[in-house]
Amino acid sequence: MSDLKLTMGNIEFDNPIWVASGTFGYGTEAPELVDVNRLGAIVTKSITRQPREGNPPPRIVETPSGMINSIGLANIGVERYIKEMLPIYESLTTKIIMNIAGTDIQEYIEILEMVESVSSVIAGYEINISCPNVKKGGMEFGVDCDMTAKLTDALRSRTDRLIIMKLSPNVSDIVSIGQASQDAGADAVSAINTVVGMSISAKTGTSDIYTTYGGLSGPAIKPVGLAAVHKLYQKLNIPIIGIGGIVNGQDVAEYMLAGAQAVQVGTANFRNPGISEDILSQLETFISESKWPSANDMVGQVKTHS
Amino acid sequence: MHIEKAVIISNSEVAHQIWEMKFEAPMIAKASKGAGEFINILAMENWQNPLRRPMSIASSDGTTLSIIYKIFGEVTTILSNKRPGDYIEILGPLGNTFSHWQNDHHPILVGGGVGLAPILNLQHECKSAGVDHSIIIGARSANEHFIDHEPDRKIYLTTDDGTAGESGTVMGPLERLVADNTKPYIYACGPEPMLVAIREFSLAQNIPAQLSVESYMGCGVGLCQGCVIPRQNGEIQHHSYHQKYSLVCLDGPVYEAEDIQFV
Repeated sequence: MSDLKLTMGNIEFDNPIWVASGTFGYGTEAPELVDVNRLGAIVTKSITRQPREGNPPPRIVETPSGMINSIGLANIGVERYIKEMLPIYESLTTKIIMNIAGTDIQEYIEILEMVESVSSVIAGYEINISCPNVKKGGMEFGVDCDMTAKLTDALRSRTDRLIIMKLSPNVSDIVSIGQASQDAGADAVSAINTVVGMSISAKTGTSDIYTTYGGLSGPAIKPVGLAAVHKLYQKLNIPIIGIGGIVNGQDVAEYMLAGAQAVQVGTANFRNPGISEDILSQLETFISESKWPSANDMVGQVKTHS
Repeated sequence: MHIEKAVIISNSEVAHQIWEMKFEAPMIAKASKGAGEFINILAMENWQNPLRRPMSIASSDGTTLSIIYKIFGEVTTILSNKRPGDYIEILGPLGNTFSHWQNDHHPILVGGGVGLAPILNLQHECKSAGVDHSIIIGARSANEHFIDHEPDRKIYLTTDDGTAGESGTVMGPLERLVADNTKPYIYACGPEPMLVAIREFSLAQNIPAQLSVESYMGCGVGLCQGCVIPRQNGEIQHHSYHQKYSLVCLDGPVYEAEDIQFV
């Protein structure tokens, strides 16, 4: 079996197959369907300072080869996360990455400091600067280089754990946001978050999502994710975690060839919460049948025509 | 909760555009706890339609399950093209069950359209338990019905256009049956306007009612947080989680009428 281990910051991950924030709950929802300890990491659902109910329904709709969601960061809040979830993670061997969302820099800092002040096995933080579904949400950070740099810097100075900035595709230049994250001390970037989208039912003449616009995910956005990862790989020297439309081992290989060192499986979890285990096996088979000695050897090695 | 490849035993059109499919799914059938539960169906392996389709279990006998579905679009058309011996991949059993009446209650079961599925499952439970009950089935027209109007056996049909059973909605026979029984208990599943009317009626009359609601679902297991329904009086909490909204896949699909509201 090929070696799938990878190192990011000072953390060693068993394999590059992670599950994406918001698509896997807190990691404990479907124990009958998935052995989470086989995953490289679980990125838990975005946590905010206070609990959040989320948006009114309808919150989701299927679209061609994808879906649009506008959940609105429904979550238990950081206090319950610390009290109820952190103790559960002690018994898991998979790595836990906590995803954090805030409305201003102070809120991100407060959440991170609350978690840092207790002992836990958390490997790091993924910073949601790009949720499209919350008014006054993280989007302003995700589209602005200076704000991204300030936020990254503020969090960097407060933790030795991994800091991963999650980038939005809904920007004019994703590379400059990635660069700002790197320069301010981020250990890695993950790309992409969902693409702003809309779905309309012609028959009824109505929008299918309460908030009108939502986040498009699934295989429909894989080409957008691949392009973002490839562009980031040309300019950045920190690891990139690829996200967007991954449903099988071949998709993972494509993201790795584009420049991703690890990937996150998202929407596919909704169809089958155990799909990441299948994807891991498929990746192992793919590598063993390929010319690549290991997963790491593939990273960024796509042959382009120019 | 299991993911199981189910072998289709039968799949046929029982009324206009309404199909019944029966399949072998021993793991899920064995795990099923009763009427009200649903399964999440994957009609095809490609990713053009990434999400499963939630459907109520219409019958369960320990090794087989059945569903009743209406041809709506691409996915239900694909389902209707399946033949005996073909497979579908199902996830389940999911959700809660109708909770049962006390001994002296008279269950009045109300099904509208394909919402009839869990109601037929409940009717089977009534029959097995030897519980005296009534059933009302509503549809737009006679060609959507596949059960006969037999008031003598307490089976009442309604049609919007009067082509079968009583003319009008299920509310006509429901109001009569409620008036005729000392301790009625309503169980209903169907289109939202029907559930809204039954909910208002049951609250006004102070009659217990359990409603099985439909919701657009992403996963069916609580991961996506997509399938919410507002709780009654749920707005009080300022910063809260699952106080204002309930997740239909985990908390439902069956609710006491007084616990939810329709938007």
